[in-house]
This record gives sequence, C-alpha cells and structure tokens, in this order.
Amino acid sequence: MLKCGYGGRILRIDLSERRYRVEPLDSSWIKPVIGGRAANTKRLFEELDVQCDPLGPENLLIFGVGPLTGSLLPASAYYTVTAKSPLTGILGDSAAGGQFAAEMKLTGFDQIILSGRATSLLYLFVTDSSVEFVECPQYAGSTTLETTEAIRRDRRDPSVEIATIGPAGENRVLFSCIVSSGNRVNGRTGMGAVMGSKRLKALVVRGSRPVQVADSLGFLSEVRQIESDIAKHQEYDKRYKLGTTLLMTDLNRIGILPTRHFQEGVCDYVDAISGERLASTYKVKNKSCFNCGLHCSRYYVIDGCEAEGPEFETLCGFTSRIGNQSLPFALEMNSYLNRLGLDSISTCEVIGWLMECQDRDLISPADVDGLHITWGDTDAIRNVIRMIAFREGIGDKLAEGATKCSKGFSEDAQKLVMHVKGLDIICGDPRGIKAYGLTYAIASRGADHLRAEPYFELTDKKEEAKRRFGTEKAADRLAEEGKAALVAYSETIALLTDSLTMCKNIGLCMDVLDLDRASRLLRFGTGLDYSAECLSDMMRKVIDMEFELNGRFGVKREDSTLPERFVKESLPEGPTKGSTVDIQRMVDEYYALHKWDG
Amino acid sequence: MLVVDIGKCTGCRRCESACAFFRTGRISNRLARVKIVSLYQTGIDGPVACGQCQERYCDCCPHDAITYGSLGQVIVSPTSCRLCGACQEACPIGAIEIFNEFVYVCDLCGGRPRCVEACTEGAIHDQREEENHPSLARFKKGAKGMSLAQKRAAYVEVLGAEVRKTWSKAHA
Repeated sequence: MLKCGYGGRILRIDLSERRYRVEPLDSSWIKPVIGGRAANTKRLFEELDVQCDPLGPENLLIFGVGPLTGSLLPASAYYTVTAKSPLTGILGDSAAGGQFAAEMKLTGFDQIILSGRATSLLYLFVTDSSVEFVECPQYAGSTTLETTEAIRRDRRDPSVEIATIGPAGENRVLFSCIVSSGNRVNGRTGMGAVMGSKRLKALVVRGSRPVQVADSLGFLSEVRQIESDIAKHQEYDKRYKLGTTLLMTDLNRIGILPTRHFQEGVCDYVDAISGERLASTYKVKNKSCFNCGLHCSRYYVIDGCEAEGPEFETLCGFTSRIGNQSLPFALEMNSYLNRLGLDSISTCEVIGWLMECQDRDLISPADVDGLHITWGDTDAIRNVIRMIAFREGIGDKLAEGATKCSKGFSEDAQKLVMHVKGLDIICGDPRGIKAYGLTYAIASRGADHLRAEPYFELTDKKEEAKRRFGTEKAADRLAEEGKAALVAYSETIALLTDSLTMCKNIGLCMDVLDLDRASRLLRFGTGLDYSAECLSDMMRKVIDMEFELNGRFGVKREDSTLPERFVKESLPEGPTKGSTVDIQRMVDEYYALHKWDG
Repeated sequence: MLVVDIGKCTGCRRCESACAFFRTGRISNRLARVKIVSLYQTGIDGPVACGQCQERYCDCCPHDAITYGSLGQVIVSPTSCRLCGACQEACPIGAIEIFNEFVYVCDLCGGRPRCVEACTEGAIHDQREEENHPSLARFKKGAKGMSLAQKRAAYVEVLGAEVRKTWSKAHA
C-alpha cells in the first residue's frame, strides 16, 4: 500500500469517448521507477503502440509527478509530460517547474494519462473527485496567457493552475510546447503538438488532497540540510541574481557560446546580451518555483512587453546563436514564443539553420517563398516565427522543424542542421565540453544535455575525477577520456532528479542531490526502503528501458553521434580553438559500459 | 501582526508550505492560513493572510466563536463555531477560509509565525507594537459576490499596481 508521498491514484482520460477512469497506483509497479520521468517512460514502454502516428489518437500523453512533488523538499516543483514525439518519432518528454506540479499533486493523481482525440476543442478540469470536459471553441487561437487568464476568470478561481497550448500547438507545429504558470514551459520534443492533435487546449488542476510524508521529522531535518546547502552554496548569489543566464558570460569565457549558428564560440558583443545586462537593466524582480529558496527565475519589463524568464537557452538562442545583438528583441521573443507556445531551442535552430544556408547560398530566397533572412534581422525573425506558429506560407514547412524541413534541400544544407535524432542541439558548443557532446549524442530524447548534465567536467576537480571516473581527464572539458564513465554516472543522478521531480540546477549543477540523500528522502518521504545501490540499479534499468523503447521506435546505434561540424571542423578562435569531438570513441566506451550491442 | 511587502514576494509559496506543515503536518494550500496569489499576466505574487484590519470585519460571528488574542490574532473557538461561514463571507480579502470543517485564519502561530521564518525574501514580517492597522474598507464593496480566491486575487492586484509603478519608474 502506498500511504505516504504518493497520491496513490492514476487518472486515465479517453478524449474520444469523453470518459475517465481512476485506478489505484500499484506500489510494486511504481517502486522501481519512483515517479516523474522514469514512471512516465515505463508507462509509455508498457502501453504505447510504438507504430502509432504521434499526432494520432493512439498516442498517449502522460503528465506525471512524483512522491516528493509539492512536499517541503526545495525545488520539488517539476512535472514531466511524455509521449511519442512528433518531432523525432522517438521517446519524447519535457519537464517544467513553476506551480502546476504542486497543484496537480494535490489532486491525488500521480499520473494523468490522456488518449484519444476530442471531436472539438476542449479543456479538462481535474479535481480530486471530478473530471469535467469543457468545450471551449472561444479559446481557439488564443495565446497561452490569454487562455490562462480566461479559464481562471470563467471558473471564478484565480488559484487554479493551467497547462495550456497556444496557437502553435493547435496548429500542430512539431516543436510546439505546453505552457503553465504563465511562462513555464514543457518545451522540447513537441508535446504541445501532441496535445493539439488531441484537441485539448488546456489541462486545469485544482486539488485539495494534502501531501503527507511518512516521517515528518526525519524529512524535515533532511530538508533543513538541503536548504542550508543551497543557501551556503558558493554560487548562491550569482544564481539568485542571474539564474541560468549566468551561462552567457561563462560559456563565452571558455569559447563555447554558440554564435552565428555554431560557426563561432566567442561572441564579441556578449556584454550587450548577457545575464548581467538583463539583470541590471530590465529585471524587476525574482520569481520562483514552488517551495524553492533560490528564486532564480526573473521577471522583466521592457517597452510594450513583459514576462518571466528568459532562461539561458532562449536568451542565447535569440541573441548570439542567430546573430542578434539586441537584448530587448530577445526579451520580446521570449514572451512571444511563450504566448504562441513554441519551443525556443527548435525555433532558433530552424531560423539559424536557414540563415546559415542562405549565407552560404545553399538555399535561395526563391526556394523558400521569397523569404530572405540574414543574421540578426529582427523583423524577418519576428515574421518567420508568426508564419511558423500559424503555418502560413513557408512557415508550414519550417513548422516541421529543421531536420525534417532540410530533407527538401541539398545534402550540404542537410548537414548544417544541428541535431541528433531529429532533436535540435542546445546552446553549448560540444567542441569545448566533451561530456556534454557525448550526452547530446546518446540522450534518449535526442540532442539534449539534461539527460546527464555532466557539470563535473567543468569543475577542474582532478583528484576526485581520478578516484571516481578513473582519470583526471574526466574533469578536463577538452578531453574525451573518462567522459563515458562520467556521463554514465551523471545520467543516473539526472534521472533520479527527474523522478523525484526536482530541479536539475539545484540537484545537479549545485550538487545537492546524491544517491544517499535521495534514499533518505525517499525513506522519510514514502516509508519505502531504497539503498543507494538499489537506486542506482533502478535508474540504470530505466535507462536500459529507454534504450529498448527507442530501439523499437527504430533508433540505430549510428544515430548516436554528433553533426559533422563538431566532429570535423574546429572553432576559429578563443579558448576552444582547434578542438573537435572524437564522438565515436566516447560513444563506443559508453555503449561498452552499458553492455549495449546497439 | 503580519505585514506584507509584496514587492519582495517571488511566489515560491514557502510561507504557505511552512504554515500548513507546522500546523497540520501536511502540505496543501487549503491547509495554509497564508495563501499566495500569483498573477501571471502582471508578474505580481503576494501572500494573503489576516493583517488584523481596523474594521475587524470578521467580528460578526452570530455564534460568538471569534475573539481576539493578546497579539491581536483571530481566535476561533472550535466548540462555538458552527461553520456558518459568516466570517469567511465578511472578510474582504479572503483571509479566512473554511475547509473540511475547520476555519483557517492566521493566528500568528501563537507568537512565532512560521511563514515569517520560511520567507527568505523578507516579504512577510511580524510587527509587534504596530498601531497602524490597515483599513480594508476600500476592498469591502468590490468583494461582494466574489469567491474567496477572487477576493484574494483582487486584493493582490491592487497592491501589485503600486509595485508595478515602482517598476516603471525604475526603467523610466
């Protein structure tokens, strides 16, 4: 019996039949996966017809929280949305912080599993004891923020939390996202398109089932220690002030800030677009996820525009990566993308790719409906984003994402798409962070850093590197040695963090979570016993499961690689000049560690 | 009495969690006597709790279940209270809420408010010897017919408008 931590129930909703069913959560089913991302993966693994059309009614869209979500644990504020990705055709999932997860937890549902397709646009109102199917033709085409406000007004309850799609999701842009808490985003792998394909405008939650842990005092003392670790962390002040945008100057300093679509790693105007500049000019306050004492998110106001964010990926993606020197424009785009419901990473990749292809005369304006787009051309960028979200003109093709869109062009143009397995690469040039490069190559949702977040390679802790990963080189960002071992370790902690629905910035980058601590948190939280070793084994099994699931989706070993640019071309200047990634070697070592034959 | 500086609130809801946890052993905003409102369209977040208003609108209990303690805090007698909802209805800012047959209203934890300890931002203070109790008269009329959550949101929106003025000044 699951008495503590968990809500103990799952909710299945069939949108075609407008029916729902509540099932008890089986403790032997959930125990080996804990919750969050791992539990969602297991659900997909066991129940999805892998051949299904990702935008068809058979695809499952799973919202999942974990046993410690919404508890006193700092930053236990994430929920994961999982489905077969329409962008990549493989495992898709994306997590978001903010307030939605904590409210979903209070409904007592650890997972909400959506299937089918509604006959007309509707939203779901889920409480502990009821599910309402509410038709909402009036919200068709409305932005995520408009929908959020309208639903709060209609329900006469401004405290409901809402995960919604914008016009991009309704139009099934393959990289559209789900937005909650105003500006919190399940960005990657096109979960918004899956939601749009089900004609579900929003999932609204309001719960009242309290979160109760098994051992309150034990849990509290562990929480106190974690709070103290966060507050005393050497980077606390910097992270409080800048959040993830601290990476703009940090990455530029080591020459890996993607500039003009990864052609350069040093941006000479970084001071004009940095997190420091944002904090000193447009930031008006700190914002926070549920129960977090770091408050690293930010709210900004500029002329005619205001929003929460941006995080580093969006800031870099809409400045240096596409050659834009205007910080206000990037802030405008952050708000614009969130309202339309577009993932910023995939959007900036399709734009940056097109810019580079046009710059190199690989794609002419005549090939793309007369569209001419050059580095930092703000009017053209704004226009293209609108065309993508509404699938107007050439936007209809760009809405398929850079990888699919490139298929209609030359091989040279195709090679310039910065993706792995169809998912666009994040803002961090792997030529100067090799363990991240390996992570992009092997990550189960395609090019992604969060699957391992091997931050350790940037710490220069040589002795610890030797002890833990067999070589000092594991802490040398430019080396390939020891990186497979580092990634194989980090990915278990990353998955654990996701399964506890904790923030990775805190869990991993601030080094707050380890296996021993997780086992104590789970014991105090749920009353279930997990040894550190058993947690590690469990997470490895889930990683194997993801690998097997992707095999069924058709992923091959040769897909685990990096774009040619990172393997063959070196950066022209800066501290990472001359470096390329020996990706094959790292992938081989990584596969050997997992005993995967490929 | 609790004094709130909503310009400092980040919406983390640590006050809410601490309140619920230390008073009930469990966590839920329904069990908290301080409730955070987050207005996503304006970036304003703010805690709503009893601030011991001048008017004492809750002093209307038909069963005399409400008294005021030495700290000025509201004390609800569990034996006299019939859960009629008069106090909840009367409070113009939604600071009293009945949930599962219990009246949730700030009583300053009897002198050591946990929300104040939990707030790392200095957005909630416990001010003793404070003579200037706030007037909520301007919220009373508009609150008619509103749900409790709507009353809280309307209150935070008004306070937030002042905060937003300081933002526009900062960037003028």
